[in-house]
Amino acid sequence: MNLGLRNPAAKTIFFAILIVWSLAVLYPLAWTLLDALKNNAQFLGNAPWALPKLPLLWSNFSYVWDKYNFNSYFINSLVITAGSTVLGLLLSASTAYVLARYSFKGSGLLYLFYIASMMVPFVLALIPLFFLLNSLHLINTWFGLILVYASSVLAFGVFVLVGFFKSLPKELEESAVIDGASYYGTFFRIMLPLSQPGLVTVAIINVLNIWNEYVVGTVLINDPKHYTLPVEIGVLQAEMQYRTEWGPLFAALFITIVPVLVVYILFQRKIASGITAGAVK
Amino acid sequence: MKTSGTAKWQRSLFIASFTIPTLAFFSVFTIYPVIKALYYSLFDWSGMSDHMDFIGLQNFKDMLHDPIVWQALGNDYFLVAGKIVGIMLLATFFAVALTRFGFRLSGFFRSVYFIPNVISVVVIGVLWNFIYNPQIGFLNAFLSLFTKEPVAITWLGFTSHTIWMLLPPSIWAGIGFYMILLIAAIQNVPESLYEAAELEGANQWHQFCHITLPLVWEQMKVSIINIMMTTLNGSFVIVWLMTEGGPDNTTQVMGSYLYQMAFRQYHFGFGAAIGVLILITSLITTVALQRLLHRETIEMS
Repeated sequence: MNLGLRNPAAKTIFFAILIVWSLAVLYPLAWTLLDALKNNAQFLGNAPWALPKLPLLWSNFSYVWDKYNFNSYFINSLVITAGSTVLGLLLSASTAYVLARYSFKGSGLLYLFYIASMMVPFVLALIPLFFLLNSLHLINTWFGLILVYASSVLAFGVFVLVGFFKSLPKELEESAVIDGASYYGTFFRIMLPLSQPGLVTVAIINVLNIWNEYVVGTVLINDPKHYTLPVEIGVLQAEMQYRTEWGPLFAALFITIVPVLVVYILFQRKIASGITAGAVK
Repeated sequence: MKTSGTAKWQRSLFIASFTIPTLAFFSVFTIYPVIKALYYSLFDWSGMSDHMDFIGLQNFKDMLHDPIVWQALGNDYFLVAGKIVGIMLLATFFAVALTRFGFRLSGFFRSVYFIPNVISVVVIGVLWNFIYNPQIGFLNAFLSLFTKEPVAITWLGFTSHTIWMLLPPSIWAGIGFYMILLIAAIQNVPESLYEAAELEGANQWHQFCHITLPLVWEQMKVSIINIMMTTLNGSFVIVWLMTEGGPDNTTQVMGSYLYQMAFRQYHFGFGAAIGVLILITSLITTVALQRLLHRETIEMS
């Protein structure tokens, strides 16, 4: 039973607030797309909310894609996000499974260690990471960023997946052991398929965070060939002070947003359940 | 059942093979850098040579006399306070409105409100730069509708208080995440409590004050502390994208000052010391907030 609000005036006002906030969220996105289809004359001569003039300048998109090398930045982002998500998931799922199912000397401490590490601001590690990767010759490489990103999402993955593995029933594993399955067989053939929903949730949240990451990318990548999308957006916006190509800049923003929006629309529920699981401490 | 030696050995081997690679990896790429940062903070080091001068706590003493550090610290706490108030008020309102008020389209609103949280802060920074842009910006054009002369305010160029301009984007970007957390918390409150309150004629405000608020307080506490930590750790990005700490260092935050000192001015030791300051302030503030927000928690049976 949920009677909701009884006062009709309050109901109208609150509903209006909800509508206004959805516009405050959606309008900037629509605005990004509309402005991506304008030329500079329209930026300078018309109101910011004016619709783009016909013919629409879809060429701004091909312009950033080819001339600004967004094709290669897109691939950089894709490879780095995929690589670090998979590596991070492998490393956190294995530890999380053992922590959830086996008790051994130091297991409680190990769990606490990962949880406590989430309290440490990552920016603290920025300077040493730069020199560490420099000495490993991993500055300006896909691999270097993948290693750092995988490590940065590890503790979150351990935390959420320990909770997830604990919520799975033990019976299937027990019967697998009776049937003579090895420890590894039990994990890979029974537990991994069962835990797919939890793994997917963690993976999606990591994909979003890594795709959007800026600070580490800026510090560890300074060769334009290896820029990720957010790093390039940061560079592009600084360049705009001297070179005004607003339409293409908005097209660049839109190209960066679209993949995460698609992921969000497809996996909304998973994302909500993931952040809820990750925040209950 | 007796466990034989080989079975025990197999079990240990399995546990080791599933924990040690992760721990080793994590130690190299997260723990080692953190410890190394503490170490670097005791040196005067340009980063370019192997030559490092051990200077003890001199970097920290220098910080005490560096007005920009104090400015950055103040700005960080300004953003923390502003974001806590702005985000918590709006996120709580939305969470309650979308769960308790029986509105149509609640699911739609919920989906839409989370969208800013999946967008990169870089994109958000650039977008808001265009809202504030003095020549072609949205805000000036909008205000010009109501004035005779076109408005040409440089929103990000005030000699003081420019940091205020960074609050709206930060709040806009943060609400959805905390709204989702609070929605989950509210949905965990037993419906029977609300039903009993309805029967006794309690209105929505009373239900909020006497049922929702006390029962989701734990989650609010977690959210407030989380806002504080992510702000001290990450407010850097929005600052760097929108003002680069300017004008005249008035919008500098600890993170952006760290970046500037280390990667622009090559004072890596001092930069590391700012990192340590971020760690210390973040830990102290966590403890302080825990104390401040402590309430008798109500166990749900």
